[in-house]
Amino acid sequence: MRLTKFLAISLSVVLLLAGCSSSSSDSEKTADGKIKISFINGFTGGDGAYMKKITDAFNESQDKYVVTELQEKDHYTKFKSGNYDLVVVHGNNLETYNQDGLIQDISPVIKKAGIKESDFHQAGLDIAKLDGDMFAVPLDIHPLTMFYNKDLTAEAPKTYEDLKALNTKLQSQSKDTYTLGVPSSGLVEFYMLMIAAQNGIELKDGKQLNFAQEKYADALMQFHDMVWKDKVSPPKLGLDGEFQTFMKEAKEGKAYKTAVAITGPWFYGAAKEKYGDKLGVAPIPQIGSELAAYGNAHTIALSSKVEDEKVKEGIAEYLKFMFTPENLLNWADGGQAPVHLATLEKVEAEQEKYQIAFQNAKQFENYVSPPQVYQFGEQMRYMNESVFSKLVTTENFTKKELMKELKKATKLAEQVAATAPQNE
Amino acid sequence: MYKGASHKIWSVLMVSPFVILFLLFWALPLALGVWVSLHNWNISSGNLGFVSLDNYKSILTPGTLYYDLFMKGLKNTLYFVVISVPPLVLISLGLALIIDNLPRKLKPIYRTIFFISYSISVTAVSAIFLWLFNGNGGYFNNVLESIGVIREPINWLGEQPYAWLTILITTIWWTIGFNMMLFINALDEVDAALYEAADLDGAGAFSKFISVTWPQIRNVAFFIIIMTVIASFNLYGQTKLITGGGPEQSTNSLIMNIQTSVFGMNQLGIGSAMAIIMGLIMMVIIVLQYWLSYRNKE
Repeated sequence: MRLTKFLAISLSVVLLLAGCSSSSSDSEKTADGKIKISFINGFTGGDGAYMKKITDAFNESQDKYVVTELQEKDHYTKFKSGNYDLVVVHGNNLETYNQDGLIQDISPVIKKAGIKESDFHQAGLDIAKLDGDMFAVPLDIHPLTMFYNKDLTAEAPKTYEDLKALNTKLQSQSKDTYTLGVPSSGLVEFYMLMIAAQNGIELKDGKQLNFAQEKYADALMQFHDMVWKDKVSPPKLGLDGEFQTFMKEAKEGKAYKTAVAITGPWFYGAAKEKYGDKLGVAPIPQIGSELAAYGNAHTIALSSKVEDEKVKEGIAEYLKFMFTPENLLNWADGGQAPVHLATLEKVEAEQEKYQIAFQNAKQFENYVSPPQVYQFGEQMRYMNESVFSKLVTTENFTKKELMKELKKATKLAEQVAATAPQNE
Repeated sequence: MYKGASHKIWSVLMVSPFVILFLLFWALPLALGVWVSLHNWNISSGNLGFVSLDNYKSILTPGTLYYDLFMKGLKNTLYFVVISVPPLVLISLGLALIIDNLPRKLKPIYRTIFFISYSISVTAVSAIFLWLFNGNGGYFNNVLESIGVIREPINWLGEQPYAWLTILITTIWWTIGFNMMLFINALDEVDAALYEAADLDGAGAFSKFISVTWPQIRNVAFFIIIMTVIASFNLYGQTKLITGGGPEQSTNSLIMNIQTSVFGMNQLGIGSAMAIIMGLIMMVIIVLQYWLSYRNKE
């Protein structure tokens, strides 16, 4: 009797586990003998289709390799827990991925692919190189971009004085129309790093970010002044306020409108749809003491789990295919600015067609890359979620109060930096 | 007739799916959670070794990163529990009483109307309320300005106490139907003869509720309160999608901060320890509620 019971339970467990487990043992080859390469990225927006186009074209051209591309919203989590050969890592995450041992030096693979460092713009190399080694192939840079409504300003403002002059003009026409919007959340990390870059401030201090610098507090106070002193922005805008106000229509005291948006290039599609030919795109103006651009970047990194030379050869083939101007131009078509020089030449040749890519590529010369520290996003968290919001929504916020917050943010960043694997 | 053995086999077979699923998806994850919480477990680099109660110590030691994260999340969550449970219970009871007193034909219509919002996903609900409460040209601001209640637009999502108010209104609109249905069922169970007897004694509506209805639905009401406390403790979707934890991290719930520890900071051990402490706190609150209801009964 006991045996029957035992058998019944065992059978149920086996059946259940069989249901849960994968149906086949994963082979590296497809049925027709092609070597499989898995590539995971987070291109779930409009740009996803353009990357797919490149991958599909590669797969069609191949009889030896096949790339399975997965576009997932939460691709980082999936990558950490799964088995993928290639992964798209944002520039500001590369150092973390390296320290966590999730990626490996990609130089031997790109060498096989015939790709040289000199094929890329220096801005891209600054991001992809960690301690002198290439840990990823730089794909693009998406810096803070400026959109402007040509009906409200014929020329793109270039300096802070231009922004103020435009505001005076717009306010004289309507109290509900401003130059631009300063958001309290959303792209605020870009704003804070941009103002550091435009004032020549180095936030990286050893292994951590150090926000508690007098000159950084002065630089950040400019955002407060933009809202409360110079009033070039309406007050108390929320998430993505810079873009939302740009897209809004003014409504007597009930809704604000802005002429300019300093925002992410991924909003280009929506803005173009609304404004058509009236939409202007330009590099961001100089708000600080020097001209500098800031933004994030996409890079393609090689998982540390990849050891098989045949897979590496396949990856080299794929990268060789992708980093050919004719193919990578698809990425520019998707609104991204590639850092691959030969592709950039083609973008420049057709400036109108690749409007956003061309304008963003102009910012590469002044581009300042994200500080390479462990858990950059976590070190920035308090700044992103608390400090910037207080700074731009509190009318009587003082520099002294800001310094207190910056010290707190620095202390938290220090604790995050201490969680790096080599410190444990 | 040989019946005993086959009966037993069938009993075991019938109960085994539950037992297996219970073990696989409840007992095992719980035990694993406790085990992970005793290790320095990094999402990226894996298990870095047994650390005993160090994770718990880090969470409960003032001044550490994880203490701030846990305590801020706990404080925000408790605040939401306090402000949300009374309206979620009282409004649903009010609606149930109104529906209970409606003509028979109208009952199912209103029951459906109030319950239907519960069937909508949190993503859709959040998208709707995000639009309604938009600070710049949002629906509520426009209405309030048009009727002269406010002069300046309210920054609903970026300022307190409005951000909590927005989350509260959204939660009430979204979940009120569930509690209301439970109350309606409880009210249906009340013996009509009791009301007739109360009528004969000349009882008014309020005394009828206090002396007849409440004692009859009391047990269901306690169940609803406990379920609502648990649901409010699990606040996540609304704050994640509507306020994003803002302004200034004031609506970051405990679950959001546990998620940050695990997926942001890679600290699975710390996150598990936080989840275990959260579970213990919820258990204490629920036991306290049981004890209070039992004591009142006595």
